[in-house]
Order: sequence, then C-alpha cells, then structure tokens
Amino acid sequence: MKQYKKLVIPYIGWLLLFTLLPMLMIALYAFTDGTGEGGAMMFSFTLSNFTKFFDPVFVKVLFKSFVLGVITTVICLALGYPVAYLISKCKERTQTLLILLITIPTWINMLIRTYAWISILGSNGIINNMLSAVNLPPATLLYTDFAVVLGMVYNFLPFMILPIHTALTKMDPSLNEAAMDLGATPLQTFWKVTFRLSLSGVLTGITMVFLPSISTFMIPKLLGGGQYALIGNFIEQQFIQIGDWSFGSAVSMILAVIVILMMAGVSKIEKYTGQDQEETHSDKKSKILN
Amino acid sequence: MIKNRKFSTSLFVGLCLLFQYLPIIVMVIFSFNSAKSLSNFKGFSFYWYEELFKNNELMSAVFVSVSIAIIATLVSTILGTITAIGLSKSKKIVRQIVLQLNQLPILNPEIVTAISLMLFFAAFKVDKGYMTMLFAHIAFCTPFVITNVLPKVRRLDPNLSDAAMDLGATPFQALTKVILPQIKPAIFTGALLAFTMSFDDFIISYFVTGNGVQNISIAVYNMSKRINPSINALSAIVVFVILGVLALSYIVPAIVKKKTTSKVRKRTARIVIALSCLALVIGIAVRESNKPVLRVFNWGEYVDKSVIKAFEKEYDCKVVYETFDSNESMYTKYTGGNKYDILVPSDYMIERLIKEERIQKLDWSLITNRDSLDTSIMNQPFDPNNEYWAPYFYGNVGIVYDKTKVDEADLGQGFEILRNQKYKGNIYMYDSVRDSFTVALKALGYSMNSDNDAEIQEAYQWLANQKETMAPVYGGDEIIDSMKNSEKAMAIMYSGDAAAIMAENENMDFYLPTEGTNVWFDGFVITNECQEVTLAHEFINYMISDENALLNTLEVGYLTSNKHASAIAKEEDFEGNSAYGIRTDLTGNDEVFTYQDNALKEKYAILWTKIISQ
Repeated sequence: MKQYKKLVIPYIGWLLLFTLLPMLMIALYAFTDGTGEGGAMMFSFTLSNFTKFFDPVFVKVLFKSFVLGVITTVICLALGYPVAYLISKCKERTQTLLILLITIPTWINMLIRTYAWISILGSNGIINNMLSAVNLPPATLLYTDFAVVLGMVYNFLPFMILPIHTALTKMDPSLNEAAMDLGATPLQTFWKVTFRLSLSGVLTGITMVFLPSISTFMIPKLLGGGQYALIGNFIEQQFIQIGDWSFGSAVSMILAVIVILMMAGVSKIEKYTGQDQEETHSDKKSKILN
Repeated sequence: MIKNRKFSTSLFVGLCLLFQYLPIIVMVIFSFNSAKSLSNFKGFSFYWYEELFKNNELMSAVFVSVSIAIIATLVSTILGTITAIGLSKSKKIVRQIVLQLNQLPILNPEIVTAISLMLFFAAFKVDKGYMTMLFAHIAFCTPFVITNVLPKVRRLDPNLSDAAMDLGATPFQALTKVILPQIKPAIFTGALLAFTMSFDDFIISYFVTGNGVQNISIAVYNMSKRINPSINALSAIVVFVILGVLALSYIVPAIVKKKTTSKVRKRTARIVIALSCLALVIGIAVRESNKPVLRVFNWGEYVDKSVIKAFEKEYDCKVVYETFDSNESMYTKYTGGNKYDILVPSDYMIERLIKEERIQKLDWSLITNRDSLDTSIMNQPFDPNNEYWAPYFYGNVGIVYDKTKVDEADLGQGFEILRNQKYKGNIYMYDSVRDSFTVALKALGYSMNSDNDAEIQEAYQWLANQKETMAPVYGGDEIIDSMKNSEKAMAIMYSGDAAAIMAENENMDFYLPTEGTNVWFDGFVITNECQEVTLAHEFINYMISDENALLNTLEVGYLTSNKHASAIAKEEDFEGNSAYGIRTDLTGNDEVFTYQDNALKEKYAILWTKIISQ
C-alpha cells in the first residue's frame, strides 16, 4: 500500500504553485496598508485591515451570510437526502440517467437561470399571471426572503444530491438485511445502518453547499432586490469597486478561518459514527502487517 | 403497497426534477419570443436563433467553454483521483494540510481566487488567454473531485489491494483492477461536478483570460446588460443537445443489448481524449497570422459588431475585442497585466487614467471626422483641452416612470418623489454606491461629488430613511427588463437604457429632476503601451464617422457624439423619445462625476453597506 503514497506528490506541487502561491500573493495585501492604487502597494506591516472589520456593520453582514448559508444547507439536505436515497434504490442505469438529469440544469449559466426565476416570480410574472387568471389575488414573491432561499436552494441542490447518492450506492445490502434479522425496525435500520454509512456523503454535500453559499452574492442580489448585504458581495465590492485589496483580502481571510474552524467541528461528527475508529483499526492492522 | 411506494418515489423525484427544470422550460419558451424580453411573451419566432448563428463571437465562446470544460474535467478527474488514493495512505498530518489547502478554492469567494490567479499570471508575465483559463479551471475543479473521491477511497478495505499484490499484481494493476472499479461512482460524481463548475464559471474565467478569448459565461454576462435572447436560444440548444445525447445513450445500448464491451468503452475513451487534444491544439493555434492587431476593451453591448468586422476588412488588421461591465472592473483588468490599445472609460475614470499617466495624448490630425463631433459636449473638466479622449456616447441619469401609475404633478418634487409614500414598494433604485448617493445629494441640493462629511452624513440619512419608509428594490441591469414589463412605477435609469425601455413600452416616460443630475460621457482613449498608435487613431476615426456612428447608436440606443448621426437617429428610430437626448446644464446643477480617492470611496461604501444591511 505504501506505493500509493507517492501519488500525492504531483498534486502537492500543483497546490503549491496554483493555489498556495497565488493565495500568499493576495494574503500579503491583508497585512500591508497598500493603497491598492493600481495594484501598487507599500510594504509596511499592519493589522489594521483585520481590526477594521470588527465594526458592528460588517459583523452583521458576516452573520447574515452565515445564517443564509445554514438555511440553504439545511433545506438542501432535507430535500436532497430523500431524493438521493430514492434514486439509489433504482436500477443502475436509471440511476445514472437521473443523476445526469439533475446535473444538466447547472450547465446552463447561473445568470440565465436566475433571470428565468425573476420572470416566474415577478409581480407581472408567470405565477401571478396564473393566479389572476383564476381570479386569485396576486402574491408578492420576488424580492422576498422566500425568493432568495428558493434561488439558493435551486442552485445548490444538485451539489447535495450528488455526493450523498455516491455514498449510498454500492452499499452492501446484506448489512440492512442483517440489521432487520437482528430485529431492527425499518426506521432503526435506516438510522443506524444506512444513514451512518452515508454520513461521509452528507458531509461532502454540506461542504459543497455551505462553503459556496456563504460567499455567493449574485442570487441574493437578483432575487432579493439588493436588500441583502452579504459577505461575498462585500468582498467583491472591496476588490473591484473600491479597489482596497488589503481590506478585501483581510476580510476573505477572516471568512476562511471561521469556515475552516467550523468545518473542523463538523468533521468531528464523523468520529462519533465509529467509522473512523473502524478505519484507524484497519490502518493499525495494515501497519502491523507491513 | 409496493406499487404505491414506487409511485410516491417517482412522484417525489419527478417533482424535484420539475423544480430543477422549471426555469429551463421558461428559458426555452422565451428563446422563441419575438420581442427582446425575458418576461413578456409577444409572439413565436426563430429570430434569436438566426441571430445566434450569425454571432461568431458566441459560437467561438461555445467552443472555448466546451473544450475547456472537457479538458479541465479530464485532467482534474485524473489528478484528483490519484491524489485521493495517495492521500488515503498518507500520514494524517499531510492529509490534513493538503485537504485544508484543497478547500481554499471551494471556500474562498470566487473573486479572491480570481484576483489571486490574475496576480499570479501577471507576476510570471504569462500571456493571458486560453491556456491561463484552462489552468485556472483545472485548479478550481480538482478540489471538487478530491472532496468527492476521498471519502469513498477511505472506506475501501485496504486488504483487497494488498491481496491483489500478494497474488502477483503490480501496484498499477492493483490500482486499475481493484481500487478504481470500487470507487467508480465517486469518480463519476467528481467528474460531473468538475464539468459543472468549469462550464458555468464566470468570475475566475473573466480575470484570467485575455487576448479576446471568452467562454459562454463571459459572453452571457456582457450581453445581459441588454437582455439578448440569443443567449436563451444558445442555452436551449445546449439543453436539447445534451438531452438528445442522453436519450440516445440510454436507448441505443438497450437495442444493441450489452454488446458494449469494455473494448467499445476504451475506444470511446480514446476518441474523447483525441478530441480534447485536438481542441487544445486548435485553442493554442488560434493565434492569428502576422496582421497588425488592435486590442480594444469596451463596454458590453456597446457597439454594432458589423462595424468592427468592416474595420478589420478595410484596414487589413485583427481587432481583439473584449468587454467589461463597469469602469472599475475595466481598471482592475487593465492594471492587472492585461494589454489593451484602446479603452472606453467614463468621465471620472478618464480623469484617473490621465492622473496616473496610463494613457497617451491623441493626435487629432489623424482623426479627420472630428468635425462631425458635437462640440458642445467637448472640453469637459476631466480633460479640458480634449487632449486624451474622443467622445463616443453620453447621456444623463434620470427617472423612468410609468405614466399610468405616476401622477405627473408629483414629478415636480424632483428626486424627493422617491420618498413619496404614494409609491411605497413601487420603486427601483440603482444598486450602486455612487448612483444612489447622487440621488440623495442632489435631492438635498448638494454636489454629487461632495467630500463634505456633514453633507455625506445627511445623504446617508436620506437614503436610510428611504429604505425604511419606501422599501425600494435595489437592482442592476436586470431592472431594464423589469421596467419593460411594468414591474414597478419608477426606476433610476441611465438615459440610453431608458430610451430602450420607452421604445418597447409606450407607458414609460423619462424625467430629469430639476435640481440637477448626473451627466456622463464615455470616450475612446489610447493606452500608453499601445503598439499600433496609427491604427488606434484610425479605429477611433472610423467609429465616429457619420455612417458608423449611426449604426452604433441605432444598435445600442445611447446618444452618439456624432451630431449628424444623432440628428438622423432622433428623426427616425428615436422620434419623440425624450430619453434619447441630453441635458447638459453644466453651468446650473447638472454635474459630471469626478474621480474619488480610495478613502472617500470607502467612506461612501461603508455607509452604503450600512444602509443595505439595516
């Protein structure tokens, strides 16, 4: 097994060159008070970019982004898990088809899909036209919290379904049968066997929905009518509109640290499943064998 | 009972699919709309499909998007999979570090990754274009593959591959015959996600590309200013093609009955790889011959493309044409190492570029069409002697209003009408710091370029109060389409966009508040680094000629600087359209934006964030 260790090397090189080095270049701005004028900067060390952020206004923006991210993730999980579960019960070929069908809409530009939602939800939009056709009072849908959450869930749902489905496929059905034989109810079997085993997929799904959803801003901007000041928007504003790369960089570093800490907390959950223990067990075994 | 469950299963999955496809269906329907709207269906037509196939730029964007997505998916899937396998055997500390680094591109706002890669390529003096975009895509796609594949690899029984090797398999054989088949679903998912991320990416692609290379998202983004349903047509085709291929691949094997052995699969894999290599070669070979090249950076949807084609032909040159959506993103890209000969910035940005000595003086003797320019708008404070800029389009900022909803008498209130309770919940503001503060400062009778603290605070109070009492919606370019569809009673709007709205919705009219408003100018400037100075002047001269200025203004709907062309346009297409015109009461209360330094910009921006998040 040792032979495979070396397989990491190409990517480590790649990471250093194309992720770490560019990130360091930008992180440098966070610690300098360069004016950012034309990308020219002065190399004087400062922490003021970080302290500046702890203004109630900005903290509120950050908090709101996290709230929206959590809501989106929870709804995606609640909707995505059953869908992934039901798909995994289909025939293998049907599974591939369904998974592709769910992914394909995301290949259409996000902006175009969001514009389509505007014309569905608008006060002269499709839903309201239908309502007035049957003599119902019009509903305010666009530019509400509902519209924002709807748009976010719509955009990120496939990213929840896909990894959970991966975790659920090729699960040994004899495990379920064994649990049933031992007297577990279907619900217990699901909760103690299936769900536990799919937890790695759930965590991947959470990562892939939660991380981008806190830093996104196009959807809340278009469907929320600009009522949402979110952290992604704020960072974009610093980089492009104001040109203060130092502050923008500092804010994105604060965001990264908070998220990394949060994700570390979440991945602890994995340990309680006993999965990791089982694995470390086999790791040890293979170490002894080697 | 089982049947029942099956039914509810398909119902639930079906509903979920319906949810995912609802906007797609809407989008497809509006691609057949005869009008230029995404919300108001006027009649069935294939017009936008014809437009699409005439649009070379979009077609090459399709090629770039597809080829980059395929290559990036292939490379990142392979790289990600072997890394995941390696990681599962690495020491915990290595794994932790690599995984944390790996999450950076997923977790960072795209703009941060974009700027960091832009700086990176600039630092190494890499010429931006197809290859830089490809590398950037591989860089942000691979983490998705690893995140998906790693959990599956970690759950594999390590004894299996050991057993295979004990039985005489080489490590490579154990990898391909034992490990890979077990993690296939995860690799498939990872590849699918990589493709999705690559295909739909805008921000990162925008900042790492150059030399006119653009993907579908960039094209879409720059067209969306004027809602061009050709994009819908394109997306509809994409959906149909993919669904068609999918249906075929689902039906055909069922007919041929599992004759699709691994041989066939291998062959398809080879074909895919060969095709993507071909794409790569073509992508690199796109570099044109030795014709002189002129690199123009203009606003999206701000020219009649046929004029540029004609110029290329007449002057036997190649125009590398790129677009931006704001003065600031233009500035970021230009100073971030991208090379251009001609830019089309607005007033305050011209002022900044002059101050920073980034543009050169024009040689007016080469611009023979100068006599057709409307001299009344020349000699602006940002360039008093017209040494640097040649005007292109200009206009005002005013209020577009629905005559059926707004009482004409209320218009006398000027910008205060935006705080009139009668119109609560019925107005669009422009989601931009400067344009919103212009409204407030002008309503209060101050200069929109104010740097006076007390005045700025007062304007902040005005806007905060407006947000609280009026519940306005802050929108961007999408409100152009919404106003065409009579969504709300009023909207702050640039005159050219207002003209477009009024041309399609006769209930709309344009109003310039009497207390003064913004007068803006966009013009051509030549950069310091320009290699083809004569050709650049010829280009400017060509664009402002009577004939071409007319073509441009009719296409774009903004008021042209050529007085002959604007006179004709006023008589024909824009007859009676009050937004096709300009009020330059510069001695009175109308003003031109001046350049703000970072400290001032930041002061406004913080207050704006406060207003939005209150």
